[in-house]
Amino acid sequence: MPWPPKVFWAGLIVYYGFTALCWIAEATSGINHIVGLPFWYASFLGTFLIPLLMSVIYFYFPEKAEKARGGA
Amino acid sequence: MMATVEAPVLLITVLYFVAIIVIGYYSRKRLKSATDYYVAGRQIGSVVNGLALESTYLSPASMLGLPAYIFLIGYPFWWAMAAIIAGMPIATLLTASALRKYAPTSFADYYADRYNDQRLRWLVGIVTVIGAVLYITLSLVGMALFLLAVAKVPYIIGLLIGTVIVMLYVVWGGMIATSWNAAFQAFLMTLAAVVAAIAILIKLGGINGFYEAVAANNPKFWNTPSDEVPPHVFSGTWIAVIGWFFVWHYGFATMPYTVVRFFTAMDLKTARRSIFWCTLAGGIFYMALQVIGASSKLMIETGPMGGEGANAVNILKEYMAKYGVGGWTDYSMIAAVEALQNPWILGILCAGGLAIAMSTAAGWVMVVNTILTRDWATMLLKSKYARENPIRVARIVSVIFLAVGFLVGISPPGLVLDLSGWAFIVIISALGPGLVLGLWWKRATRAAMWTTAIIMTVLHLIAWLRAHLVLGHHAYFFLNDVLFGNKAALITPHQVWAVPVGFILFIVVSLLTKPPEEEVVQKYCVELTKEV
Repeated sequence: MPWPPKVFWAGLIVYYGFTALCWIAEATSGINHIVGLPFWYASFLGTFLIPLLMSVIYFYFPEKAEKARGGA
Repeated sequence: MMATVEAPVLLITVLYFVAIIVIGYYSRKRLKSATDYYVAGRQIGSVVNGLALESTYLSPASMLGLPAYIFLIGYPFWWAMAAIIAGMPIATLLTASALRKYAPTSFADYYADRYNDQRLRWLVGIVTVIGAVLYITLSLVGMALFLLAVAKVPYIIGLLIGTVIVMLYVVWGGMIATSWNAAFQAFLMTLAAVVAAIAILIKLGGINGFYEAVAANNPKFWNTPSDEVPPHVFSGTWIAVIGWFFVWHYGFATMPYTVVRFFTAMDLKTARRSIFWCTLAGGIFYMALQVIGASSKLMIETGPMGGEGANAVNILKEYMAKYGVGGWTDYSMIAAVEALQNPWILGILCAGGLAIAMSTAAGWVMVVNTILTRDWATMLLKSKYARENPIRVARIVSVIFLAVGFLVGISPPGLVLDLSGWAFIVIISALGPGLVLGLWWKRATRAAMWTTAIIMTVLHLIAWLRAHLVLGHHAYFFLNDVLFGNKAALITPHQVWAVPVGFILFIVVSLLTKPPEEEVVQKYCVELTKEV
């Protein structure tokens, strides 16, 4: 059965895990009320940096594997 | 509110129009074959393709609608926007790589080949055409709304100008012109949002100043469902927040107007890297929209239209009464930026708004002209004329769809504009399972494809319309009143439950029906997903 590469699942775990942790921290510790903090974790990290890192690993590792196989 | 349009707004708007006409005109010189017209000869590099992906995928619903949702629902809606951007990289390995390896021409190709049934070109085409008409109309209306509210161009004139310009470059250069223009438009719309957001942050005293000013203006804005008073009933429970998070999350991997852009990339490597550029630009754009949306109530109430005791909702209703197009929430983003009273920023915003709207309209036109010309007329109806004159027929189809969008857009019923949200989930729930599971699950069957596409389209239409018309909003679960006796009991934006239901239905029907032919599975499932 075809199965997406491990890096795909790693990216998903990082993103969904980060989101879940933020929500848990909001629900239990109210981090959303710390001045300026939601901008850094929900906007900068959640909307920009982590998705961008996912997009990097999703081309970097497949390309590395292709090179190792002697491809382009 | 500014009564007259200022020179910088007009200057930037005119320059924008000139630029995209010039790009469109010169693109036609590179048009030599039907493949060039449909998929830009598969010669688009990663940066251009990535930026084109961003501007095509993100419609006026992003630029006008999402800041309006933040205005209404508060900070928890930021997560819905984060999930839209995170959905971009997910598509890289879920669908984009395998589909680029397969290198089809039309969105319907994969379905017809994987399920070994050419009639699926009809079914997939019909669902796509419905979505296209709704999105093209929404985009043209959004474009005219920017011209009306910012550049003060009469609505009908703005609608006509924008439609004709999109028509020109789509007809001239097909996917080549659409790609290069979409890349330019992505740059412009991102710049517009970033400039406006930075101006707002500077005005409010940086990020901490912005946070505190927004909290002072609306004390429940930064609340979550765990706080005593959530910002809004639509963000009142964690189930609701999770619903908003997932509602548009998987669209990028399955929507026709993004999927076809995986075909235009030069090769597999370019396709993967183009999603990096798309995520980069899209993330910056959405961060800026989050700031604008969060500050819009404050900006409107403290701007020239506001003052002591001002109410942003009333001010926006004045906008609505003045311009008479769309709903009052559609003006929150424009009003917030207008409150900065800087005509240069307003001019860039106008060009950015036009850019995001025109790129989406053009992207959808390219999807449907390929399906109607190549799949329907040439392959299914065996039209000799379409086979011998594919570019001419595709151009005629493009003109027809834009003309339909224009005609519906002259006096757009509110329901038609809202239905674009319905179309988005229909495509993911009706066609998404067949695409994703077709690639990754050997057991996916033709019967499941037909069943899921038909049932989910009809079921979701009924559910969405019942939620919208009977309960009052698409965000209410459509059976809330029947099951819970409370219309707001469960929040399921755009009936997002349809996506998992579509996948479950597909799996169940696949398991109950005859397995697909081994040769087909090997070619369109195993080989395509190997080492993506």
